[in-house]
Amino acid sequence: MPVPETPNQWLPLEGGLIARLGVTEFLVEGPASAKLDAPSGHGVYPVLRQDTALVLRGARLNDLLLETCSVNFLALDPGARPVVLTSIVGVGATVIPGEDAGTPCYRLWCDSTYGDWFLQTLTGVAGELI
Amino acid sequence: MKIMTCPINGPRVISEFAYGGEIRPMPDPAMATDDQWADYVFNRTGAPGVKKEWWCHTPSNTWFVAERDTERDIIQRTYLYAGDV
Repeated sequence: MPVPETPNQWLPLEGGLIARLGVTEFLVEGPASAKLDAPSGHGVYPVLRQDTALVLRGARLNDLLLETCSVNFLALDPGARPVVLTSIVGVGATVIPGEDAGTPCYRLWCDSTYGDWFLQTLTGVAGELI
Repeated sequence: MKIMTCPINGPRVISEFAYGGEIRPMPDPAMATDDQWADYVFNRTGAPGVKKEWWCHTPSNTWFVAERDTERDIIQRTYLYAGDV
């Protein structure tokens, strides 16, 4: 399995992705084969995550994030495959910024116990932007 | 707005961080007197100066060391723990 060389980068996998969250922590999302291909050995522990996973897309997505977190995503180059771990509406979140046909399209993960509240709050703030 | 630099995630607002306490050398429990041990467990110094502290970037759960001048309220540097501080 390919591994990003530095923290806060991601790489595509066949049907998924691998994001490097730190020096020794990785987020793998994809088919079951990704788990089978994961590195194994002493000190390597696969942990099943059941995070809330969202894809947010919209022309004013960056405006929404400017209102709800302290990272300026406009300053990032999606082509460099950045991974951002930050706090959005007070919830720790992992974000992969990207584009879909020229429109901002971001993948987000957060603790599933915050999932409903997280989405409702973002939806509410987005409604205020209209 | 206060900014702290996480060694992994870069500069972030202070609200993304949690304080983990001052780093203080622990006396050998087998050799320390009761007074020395009680001093280590219960007492803290509030004197201003440069202190080494544990901090955590909570969205990524990255624990690191910060050297902070508590008199001037300046964070001098931050780095990952490397076995000795």
